[in-house]
Amino acid sequence: MIEVRDLWKSFGGNEVLKGITLTVPRGQTYVVLGGSGSGKTVLMKHVIGLFKPDRGSVHVDGVEISALTGKALTEARQRFGMVFQGAALFDSMTVYDNVAFPLHERQRSLPLDEVRARCLAKLKVVDLGEEVLERFPSELSGGMRKRVALARALVSDPQIVLYDEPTTGLDPITTDSVDGMIMTAKRKLGITSMVISHDIASAFRVADRLAVLYDGHLVAEGTPSEVRASQDPFVQRFLSLWFQKQ
Amino acid sequence: MIFFALEALAWAFRPPFRPELVLAQMAFIGVGSAFIVGVTGTFTGMVLALQMNYALKQFAAEGYVGGSVVFSLARELAPVMTGLMITGRAGSAIATELGTMRVTEQIDAMDTMAVNPIQYLVVPRVIAALFMFPALTMLFNALGTLGAWVMGVYVSGVPPGPFIDHMREFVDPGDLGHGLAKSVVFGLLVALITTWRGYAAWGGARGVGEGTTRAVVASSIAILVSDYAMTVIAMGG
Repeated sequence: MIEVRDLWKSFGGNEVLKGITLTVPRGQTYVVLGGSGSGKTVLMKHVIGLFKPDRGSVHVDGVEISALTGKALTEARQRFGMVFQGAALFDSMTVYDNVAFPLHERQRSLPLDEVRARCLAKLKVVDLGEEVLERFPSELSGGMRKRVALARALVSDPQIVLYDEPTTGLDPITTDSVDGMIMTAKRKLGITSMVISHDIASAFRVADRLAVLYDGHLVAEGTPSEVRASQDPFVQRFLSLWFQKQ
Repeated sequence: MIFFALEALAWAFRPPFRPELVLAQMAFIGVGSAFIVGVTGTFTGMVLALQMNYALKQFAAEGYVGGSVVFSLARELAPVMTGLMITGRAGSAIATELGTMRVTEQIDAMDTMAVNPIQYLVVPRVIAALFMFPALTMLFNALGTLGAWVMGVYVSGVPPGPFIDHMREFVDPGDLGHGLAKSVVFGLLVALITTWRGYAAWGGARGVGEGTTRAVVASSIAILVSDYAMTVIAMGG
């Protein structure tokens, strides 16, 4: 379970997060919706300890991750996987080396056969086969890069996966496929997921719970139907732009 | 940058150790720069021999060409020119690679995978530079001496005997050691400055470009200033 308690963060006098409080229940998919520049990525980077809060705290399964540094933080991160907006694959490595990277580095005694088997198994979860193993990230489409990034995030069997704008810039078919991947990871592997997105359709498809972030505050929070029924003016305007099209 | 250097130092002694990454960086910094350093060394030795021959001829002292050129190479020109050439070729590439990794979140990704990026990316480059700067300085010395020999003996007509005698007379192992010690310091400075500039890059392609430019300028200045300081110290103030 992830608990964010009264989180505040500013950069150079610009307050990005203004007292965020939320709880991501174990085994569920929690989506944070918000416009560009609303602080979604900053929130997510606090959850995995890449940023330190000015005030407030982040707890993961009872451990205050925002207070950890050095080796303790490194160990705490072993329960996470993260899929970055641009996939963040290592462009000097092949797909196989990218996916195997966490295993090579975290579990150095693992036999190479076992590493390969686990990589192939996770690539299969995201509908990719052996034919991509020797390709470099520059030889993959955007959707394939996202899938490889998810396989890399899953390969060390994390309890929690964080997704930073997983469907941004993808065509509708690939978006649908990425949504399917997130739901499959939850269903088959029991993973707790936190997704930040501005893609309303995708958010309502994958979320067990939703929050809407605006101007550093959470202006709505609850199940998808509860958020849709929110009377907050920003939420109504934000959601209506998409629901009116349906 | 001091905190960055201290962090790199601390991570250098913590497991896991990654010799394969150090070897890869030694190949990139050392083997990859050998051609340009070799060419620079050869032509530096040749042109110095020509100039020295012209000057020493005024005093009928052409036999001193070998000694004076090799002395200059060993103590000053080889470490400084090698440092500057590696900065231009490998240092700029290091800053660009790490800067690109930073702005495309590859370094953040490494962090989230519980792999310390300073240990993985910075430490192997620093260790490789500490070994390859002196190695390439020796290459520069060897080819510079060869170039000076060719120009001095075969083009300017200096007799081989005095050329070698004065070389032995002027240059001792301490001079080579002085130059190699400088090259180790240059390697440390260049590796730390270029990795730091890349590591701290931000703001997309423009930020990477600016980081690379600053890395090369700062490294070049660091080489020249530290060379002066070390020379003053070696000469007893």
